[in-house]
Amino acid sequence: MRILLTLLFLALLVLGVWTFTDAHNHAWWLPPNVSSYGGDIDRLFYLILWMVGFFFVLTEGLLVWCVFNFGRKRTTKADFTHGHHKLELVWTAVPGLLLLVITFTQMQTWAKVKFKSNFPDVKPICEVWASQFDWRMRYPGDDGKFGTVDDIENPFEFVVPVNEPILFNLRSRDVIHSFFVPYLRLKQDAMPGMVIPVWFQVEKEGSYDLVCAELCGWGHYKMAGRLKVVSRAAYDAWLKKSKEEMNSNGSEDKS
Amino acid sequence: MHYTLSTATKTSLASAPEVQDQILGSLEMLFGTPQNPSYLRTKDWADAEFDPNHAELAADAGGTGELAESEMNGVKADNLVRFRSQLEQVARRDYAGLAEFKSAPHLSDRVAAIVADKELAEDKRQADLKALFENYYPSLRDSTELYRQQCLHCHGVEGGGDGPTAGSVEHPFLDPRPRDYRLGKFKFTAVKDKARPRRQDLYRVLDQGVYGTAMPSFRRFSAAERWGLVDYVRMLAIRGEVEHDLVITFQDDEHLTAEAPLAAFQDVWTKWQAAKEKVVVFEGDVPAPTPAMLKRGDELFHDAKKGNCASCHGDMGLGDGPAAYKLDDQGHRVPAYTDDWGNPILPRNLVQGLYRGGRRPIDVYRRIYAGINGGPMPGIGESKDADGKLVLPPEDMWALVHYVRSLSERDEAVAGGPIHGMTPPGEGGGGGN
Repeated sequence: MRILLTLLFLALLVLGVWTFTDAHNHAWWLPPNVSSYGGDIDRLFYLILWMVGFFFVLTEGLLVWCVFNFGRKRTTKADFTHGHHKLELVWTAVPGLLLLVITFTQMQTWAKVKFKSNFPDVKPICEVWASQFDWRMRYPGDDGKFGTVDDIENPFEFVVPVNEPILFNLRSRDVIHSFFVPYLRLKQDAMPGMVIPVWFQVEKEGSYDLVCAELCGWGHYKMAGRLKVVSRAAYDAWLKKSKEEMNSNGSEDKS
Repeated sequence: MHYTLSTATKTSLASAPEVQDQILGSLEMLFGTPQNPSYLRTKDWADAEFDPNHAELAADAGGTGELAESEMNGVKADNLVRFRSQLEQVARRDYAGLAEFKSAPHLSDRVAAIVADKELAEDKRQADLKALFENYYPSLRDSTELYRQQCLHCHGVEGGGDGPTAGSVEHPFLDPRPRDYRLGKFKFTAVKDKARPRRQDLYRVLDQGVYGTAMPSFRRFSAAERWGLVDYVRMLAIRGEVEHDLVITFQDDEHLTAEAPLAAFQDVWTKWQAAKEKVVVFEGDVPAPTPAMLKRGDELFHDAKKGNCASCHGDMGLGDGPAAYKLDDQGHRVPAYTDDWGNPILPRNLVQGLYRGGRRPIDVYRRIYAGINGGPMPGIGESKDADGKLVLPPEDMWALVHYVRSLSERDEAVAGGPIHGMTPPGEGGGGGN
């Protein structure tokens, strides 16, 4: 029984470590990062992963050793111990210290991504409206203002130019949603009644999944969108075409 | 999964179960089963080498020729994206796992058949597979599977708007309820005279969604898949209409002849084909709004002899006009109208700026011009007064359109402004978090 339990916990240890080391080969891992600040976030992620990985191996190893060493049929009477003051100090102070390290290392990144004072000095490119159960991007028309009749509304596709800081206002029509683009390492809740500015910069053209990351109702799983990153010229052309479509007289529907 | 008759049919034919069976059998003959849906090719169609099951093929190639060249190009462009990894596999002649499409069983079968065909030369096999992926257009069978995965949970097996996530009749989950296709009526189209929708109208709904309802945009599916869904939805609608027509025929004649189903089918099919001629188009450029136009629109909106919009949509456009409500037995204010599906209906609150049929000026123009099929909103684009003159000549139509669209700007000033001290950036915002 002792050997069996030892092997079981050892298997858990090995399986746990293998899951993380082998994940790359099975597309279980993070998608490639394409945003300007995603690298910083990934570094923080790995920092924390290494920390918890180290302690996972340490504590799990301890567990295996304890089961193996003390799991024999009891022959002697157990000791009573009140505790070990120094040891307790160590296992309180070390994690505390590590938490402080994490706090101070992440502060810069958090400030860069979320603080308004650090936002790029550009006009918001569009409003992203979340509603049950789709995403709708509203680009200002020629007047540059939101909420006027010449706005362009684009469902599903969030079109932005590459290599430029993008600022947008996140809004919700009904309940709490969450704007999540895993490729950008960007997640932000959308609250009804609030206008939440968000920024990012993408460094690679392509189409990236946009999903809702806050359970918002029965159709939550369907609430998908697409971040389409194109060159500046393609973006301008798309915007021009959308404005023309806005003023269509319907003749394209004539057969 | 199998097609059944609608509750309305079962109720009207409760005393004639054998007619119910006859109708169900005829419908299966005309439209197949969910496992193998396909239109029956009538003798005329077979003689003319015309097949309604192939919307993508040109009329002279045995199809219905309903996909314009630009639409077909869109389909092909999307296919290159959707099947990128498959095409790469084909290019290096690695056919392992190529035939596994969870939402396209027919495509899987077709790919598997080419891969397994021992008679084919390798070059030909590669070319066939490449062509199949590049020119893929779903058969009704493929579309049924996608419909089953994406649409059925609201719109139901027969398109009755009675899927599980629609809730029950007594306790609906959704407001408005999902469309019941079986009347052949669709609200947001580009056509007048309550004509059937064109395929492009249904496609636009899939592309844009119906904002303000639970119908989202389905752009995440390729153009081919969306056109396929349009084909299938049309088939369900035609099936529902034929069912309804047969019930009426039986009630009028007290029996159903063997020819009745085919006659009803051809009749409904013709109606759907006729929609192309009914598109509402404005000849000329859409005029830009001016203050004078908005003022004129304001007058027309409130003038009972002109637009008469305020009677339902309210003086402020809030959807609270006197004609939209009535008092019930207990003296409660309830909606005055029901739509053609029997659901109580209220006029749109125009101040919200949620335009279900699209927010382009031409979309609002079409709503005012042709009304909304199935609902109480009338079309006044061709109404004439006692002197035979148009009630709303084109310049007045546009004044009204621009006025209606301008109503939503007020909402932004009231509801879209800064809340809880949050200032949108670029408008004097900034500062700490």
